[in-house]
Amino acid sequence: CLLLGACSKFLDQTPQAVISGDDLNTPENLEKMVVAAYAGLGNDHYTAPYSSMWPYGNIRSGDAYKGGDGAGDISDYHFYETFSLNRVDNGSSDLLWFRLYVCIGRANDALGRLNTATDDAFPNKTIRQAEMKFLRGHFYFLLKILFKHVPYIDETMPKASYDTISNRVYTDQELWGKIIEDFTFAAANLPATQPETGRPNKFAAKAYLAKTLLYAAYKQDESNNVTGIDAAMLQQVNALCDEVMASGKYQLAADFANNFLSKNENGPESVFAIQYSKDDGTPKGRLDYGHALDYPMNQDFGCCGFHSPSYNLVNAFKTDNFGLPMFNTFNNVNITKESDFQTLTFDPRLDHTVAIPGHPYKYDPAFIYQRSWARAPEVYGSYLSLKEAVLPDDPAFQKVPPFMSSSKNWEVIRYADVLLFKAEALIELGRQNEALPLINSIRQRAGASTSLLKQSNGSFTSNYKMGIYQPGINCTWTQDFARQAMRWERRLEFAMEGYRFFDLVRWGIAAEYLNTYFTTEKTRSAHLNDALFKKGRDEYLPIPLNQINFSKGLYKQNTGW
Amino acid sequence: QQRTITGTVTGKQGGMPLPGVTVQAGNRNTITNANGNFTIQAAPDEVLSFSYIGMKPVSQKAGEGSTALSIQMEENATDLNQVIVTGYQTQKKADLTGAVSVVDVKEIKDIPLGNPVKALQGRVPGVFITTSGDPNSSATVRIRGIGTLGNNDPLYVIDGIPTKRGLQELNQSDIESIQVLKDASAATIYGSRAANGVIIVTTKRAKKGYSRINVDASSSLQYYSTKLKTLNTDGRGRAYWQAAVNDHVDPNNNQIYQYDWNGDYNNPVLNKINLPEFIDAAKTMHPADTYWYDQIAQTSLLQTYNISVANGSERGNSFFSVGMYNNKGIVKATNQQKITARFNTDYSFFNGRLKIGENLSATYIKDALVPATDILFAALVQQPVVPVHTVDGGWGGPAPGMTDRQNPVRLIEDNRQNKSNFYRIFGNAYADLEIIPNLHFKSSYGIDYNGTYQRTLRKAYTSGFLSDKTNFSQTSQDYNGNWVWQNTLTYDVTLQKHHLDFLLGEEQIKYMAQNFYASRQGYALENIDYSYLNAGSTNKDNGGTGSGYTLLSYFGKVNYSYDNRYLASVTLRRDGSSRFGKENRFGMFPAVSLGWRVSEENFIKNNVAFISDLKLRYGWGKTGNQEIANNATNTLYSAIYGIDPTWDFDSGSAYDLGGTGSGQLPSGYTLIQQGNPALKWESTVQSNFGLDFGLFDNRLSGSVDYFIKKTSDILISPAYLAVIGEGGTKFVNGASMQNKGLEVLLSYSGNIAPGLALTVTGNIATYRNKITKLPAEVLTSYPGNGQDKTILGRSVNSTFGYVADGLFRSQKEVDDYSDQIGKGLGRIRYKDLNNDGVVDDKDRNYIGKGDPDFTYGLNVSLEYKHFDLTFFLQGIQGVQVYNTFKTYTDFASIWPGTNWGARTLDAWTPQHADASIPALTLVDRNNENRTSTYFLESGSYLKLRNLQVGYSFQHFFSKRLQTARVYVQGSNLFTIKSKTFTATDPENPNNAYPIPVIGTVGLNLSF
Repeated sequence: CLLLGACSKFLDQTPQAVISGDDLNTPENLEKMVVAAYAGLGNDHYTAPYSSMWPYGNIRSGDAYKGGDGAGDISDYHFYETFSLNRVDNGSSDLLWFRLYVCIGRANDALGRLNTATDDAFPNKTIRQAEMKFLRGHFYFLLKILFKHVPYIDETMPKASYDTISNRVYTDQELWGKIIEDFTFAAANLPATQPETGRPNKFAAKAYLAKTLLYAAYKQDESNNVTGIDAAMLQQVNALCDEVMASGKYQLAADFANNFLSKNENGPESVFAIQYSKDDGTPKGRLDYGHALDYPMNQDFGCCGFHSPSYNLVNAFKTDNFGLPMFNTFNNVNITKESDFQTLTFDPRLDHTVAIPGHPYKYDPAFIYQRSWARAPEVYGSYLSLKEAVLPDDPAFQKVPPFMSSSKNWEVIRYADVLLFKAEALIELGRQNEALPLINSIRQRAGASTSLLKQSNGSFTSNYKMGIYQPGINCTWTQDFARQAMRWERRLEFAMEGYRFFDLVRWGIAAEYLNTYFTTEKTRSAHLNDALFKKGRDEYLPIPLNQINFSKGLYKQNTGW
Repeated sequence: QQRTITGTVTGKQGGMPLPGVTVQAGNRNTITNANGNFTIQAAPDEVLSFSYIGMKPVSQKAGEGSTALSIQMEENATDLNQVIVTGYQTQKKADLTGAVSVVDVKEIKDIPLGNPVKALQGRVPGVFITTSGDPNSSATVRIRGIGTLGNNDPLYVIDGIPTKRGLQELNQSDIESIQVLKDASAATIYGSRAANGVIIVTTKRAKKGYSRINVDASSSLQYYSTKLKTLNTDGRGRAYWQAAVNDHVDPNNNQIYQYDWNGDYNNPVLNKINLPEFIDAAKTMHPADTYWYDQIAQTSLLQTYNISVANGSERGNSFFSVGMYNNKGIVKATNQQKITARFNTDYSFFNGRLKIGENLSATYIKDALVPATDILFAALVQQPVVPVHTVDGGWGGPAPGMTDRQNPVRLIEDNRQNKSNFYRIFGNAYADLEIIPNLHFKSSYGIDYNGTYQRTLRKAYTSGFLSDKTNFSQTSQDYNGNWVWQNTLTYDVTLQKHHLDFLLGEEQIKYMAQNFYASRQGYALENIDYSYLNAGSTNKDNGGTGSGYTLLSYFGKVNYSYDNRYLASVTLRRDGSSRFGKENRFGMFPAVSLGWRVSEENFIKNNVAFISDLKLRYGWGKTGNQEIANNATNTLYSAIYGIDPTWDFDSGSAYDLGGTGSGQLPSGYTLIQQGNPALKWESTVQSNFGLDFGLFDNRLSGSVDYFIKKTSDILISPAYLAVIGEGGTKFVNGASMQNKGLEVLLSYSGNIAPGLALTVTGNIATYRNKITKLPAEVLTSYPGNGQDKTILGRSVNSTFGYVADGLFRSQKEVDDYSDQIGKGLGRIRYKDLNNDGVVDDKDRNYIGKGDPDFTYGLNVSLEYKHFDLTFFLQGIQGVQVYNTFKTYTDFASIWPGTNWGARTLDAWTPQHADASIPALTLVDRNNENRTSTYFLESGSYLKLRNLQVGYSFQHFFSKRLQTARVYVQGSNLFTIKSKTFTATDPENPNNAYPIPVIGTVGLNLSF
């Protein structure tokens, strides 16, 4: 094109290997945009594990140490663990915040497109809208419990306006209201049964709505103090849990272990789970990458020894003569010897939850967990978390050198949670007697879950003794006692599952609980020497400094930071 | 009375006959023939004068003519008649008005660099080169500092064809000349993409009446002389014990070492370290004492061979060369083999009015795909107690409690079979027609395409607690490149004292890139000869993508000179790029420059005899940069099914909705970027003030350049408000920065004693960088706190952090000090900069900059009879490097599972209270890994880069062999570095591929 005129088209280059947003509004592509939003659930990663939640919910709760190769190995998580070292420019918090908005962005993108579709062209319109609101509700729920005050963006807002939306447009309660709104829509519009397991149904939405309402019911002031519990919301929690229970779709799995075995995925206890996969056409599989650092350091695994249960947590599984928890004395004497597991008595959930030297790893009597499998036992002790793990010969296991994980699903809400939501609501409503059978049903199932907990000689791995609460016989079932029992039950039932810290904040006891924990625990593990929980600050992560800067000061920092 | 005088003219160095030398006696003249011979009539008293471009003129009395004269001519690097390629045209050096540096190719031709651009290191003021010892010869080139926040690589123009690929694929001995266009007035003619400077390379061609076969061969041995001192097994044990004792925890609470000690934490005494029989539970590894650096290093061989054939005749010239380069690296199994071939020809028609020619080069490179970075890192961190092999010959590897890094020897051996095959074809064909005298039309069509083919095998292995039981093989192909079509009209005219050159031109470039890969697992044999895709049985995976862009440019230039005294030049270039929005596709890049050859003025000529040349130059111009993604103006989605999320989040859109756990998944689309249709060219405006001088018959010459370079509308893809979500990446024209600098070159050339010729060339350069504008919201992406302390007004290479103020040496110092979490005896004290009694993130400040105060080089050449000696010193002064490897060499706590540096044995203890290394501890309570001055060290160095001694034989073996020269050469023979630098090579502060010491013997033959 020597001549000027002929050259005008020479600079028109068609973009290669990409597609414009306008091409994605066909019914077929709408379904695909919905799938992309679901994929956000599975895009979890150990650098900001928002699906497994272990750095935020477990190592900040006194249940777990960070683990790995000392404090410097992902030091951002060490800062979480000690609280006193955490900072507004902690890069992991910024990444977590970003990743959650990536997921929200996908849900909003799909919703914006769904809203413009007609029911004729796209008969699933309302169901898919409900699914997207469910997902959006899930991700905002996570942001809410992590950061408290976050900017709320929905599909009706143009992208150009995002930088005008502060994190204080809504009050604390109003923001809960937005999340409640999404789950309410989802509960109203999702079908009772979904043709595909991975999509939430009506009852999953009701369960999540109950969970959200339960958190929202504990009203907080600006300094994160719990100022009161909203009875109306508790009533709703109770009613919603009843509806889930009455649906007949769920029950407690026969063995507690089934919740953590790949062969029992999507079982009767699973209300909403993140679906992982392998051999699926992706380079390494769509695995549970959030837990990819949590395997022991032996030849079958080899990386990376993160997520170690604390001494305190292991002690909490001790039981008394009635097989009941030792609320006040459990931590007086630390378990230090392997023989302690035979001479004392324990809740069987211990060996489902914690890998202990000399005990079978993940129920395999021929595969004994060794102290030498721990990464840095001189710093973090030698326990390791088990629920997320699978055995090396499990079909779901997958190495992704140097890491490894599995395609085993991860439960966000299981039926036991629904029972304990209801129990909690009832207790706080003063109806603790109605809560008793719920808590006992959890304990009974746990007590019966010992068939996999055996050594190769057929004897039980530890000395189990598990009882139920029998008012008048082994306890006095007051509201205070019931509350303590319920809270203890939540801790042991869901230990290492990612939400313990948020329970503590919800109940308004995080500061006292954790500082008590640190006082004793730092004498056992020097890495906690500088740990200190600052009340009125550490209940929430700070709004990442980057985001405050990017917003040009529009975002306001959380209390105390 | 005139007689017939005969003689031969040869070049002083190498003794090559010089054809085409003008020989003058009175008003008679002739030129030497192909063998350098001449015949002329002259009276005995008459002075014969010999002149040749690029050589110092020689005068000699004709004499009686009874014997043939033997004239030697000496090259003159500062010759003002030297022809300089300045972009689509050539100019005499005397007429230049821009800042152009010429590299003396002769000085570097025998140094086995692998990448010719490395030769510019320290030799061209203002050109800053950083390299490593990697056999792939990568180099980073920065001209006049960092000019932009994106791609800072210069533009290369090889035989007129622009390319952004470096020179690593070019055969060093094919190079005729290298010139660097540093300022905008010189570079603007290459407008687009010239903002980072332009490096112009011309390859050799044959000349009329010139036939020659050249053979060059050299062999070098390379040595790894900068191994880091890590702890041995005993030392690692002692350091651990000391750390545990300092912490008052039981040192025997660990999985390898057991200590016999007095148990007194206040006065600890270690009697003996006991090692177990095996370090692993499976009893496969006896404790060893492995110095991993010795295990990965080798003294290696580097060989180069070149043959070139040049043949020139009345009607055409041809040049053909083949080069081979084989560099085995000093890390085992690293290797590059390179074969280059070149064919340059030109033919004349119609009495020289039409010239048709071509330049064509083909390159094949085979690189070992050995993960050298991982290997070097593993050699540092793998513990010495780990054996290379297990008792049954398997791989040793990390044992309990150790870091999860690989046995570096396994990484070497298990990757030996993996190679990359690279092919590149580069060249152009052109026709140059003289339409009327001095009016030329030239059209050139060039191509630059390359392809890469790789087939790699990852073997199954067990190594300590690390293992992978699956094998994997991947095949990939990558194909990219561009064509360039250039059309120019040139005209030059002389009207009395006025001389004018005109250039008008047009250029089009179309670039494309395509690639794909496929992989499988489950190979029955772990053999590279077997592991083709068809042989794999499981986990089929594949992928591929493509991209492209186009450039369209128009340009013109006028050079004017009056009486060789006043010089002026005006350039205008208009560039269009497909990367920018429709409205802003074209950028206009003008330049003007002026020169005044003061030495041509009579008041100098007549009064100041020692000034042989003096020129003042001023240039101003604007250049552009388009280095952004090809599709940056569009908002785009991509069908990302799933990526490899080993190290980063999966951005994929597939999800197992059906809950089946495997198989093909439903998937969608991922938003990958926000378009910005308003994107426009980034531009750099540069002013250059220059002075060239030659004194005492040009024996002393030099130049001084001062520049101010301002880059604006810098193309950045800033970090963004997270609520935007994924695909928020958006290129904007957002930042500005400034560089100011000074470059001085000084050269002496002359005979200091009869027959002893000395050439000394020294240079020194400096620049100061600062960022002058950034969008407020992206300030946190740069060093600073994003609020009251920002990078604005500072160098882009700034470091922001805490000031480490020594160690706490007494409990009183600890108690009296501000509130610093983790403070304690022997711990680092950080300055409470704001004096608020608390050491926190508000006590961070700018603590260092990565820009050197100045860089310098000094080259000295001596010639005496048949001997030649050259040495070259190069250095950097006043630069700070951030030595991140100090987290390994100085601490036991930051990476408790790794090996540590031998320095840890010199750490603070109550008994060793004057130490500067913090007390060892197992838990880093004081957060000593934080960015602080503890890790900032002086990176200043002076290196003896090259030392070479050669001897030339003349007509020694036979008549056919014109010259023969043998030489020995050493590279990187010594380094002077700062005492405060604690690693081994300040040029290579963070354990990148080490730079070897090289010894070379070589031979040049010419037939």
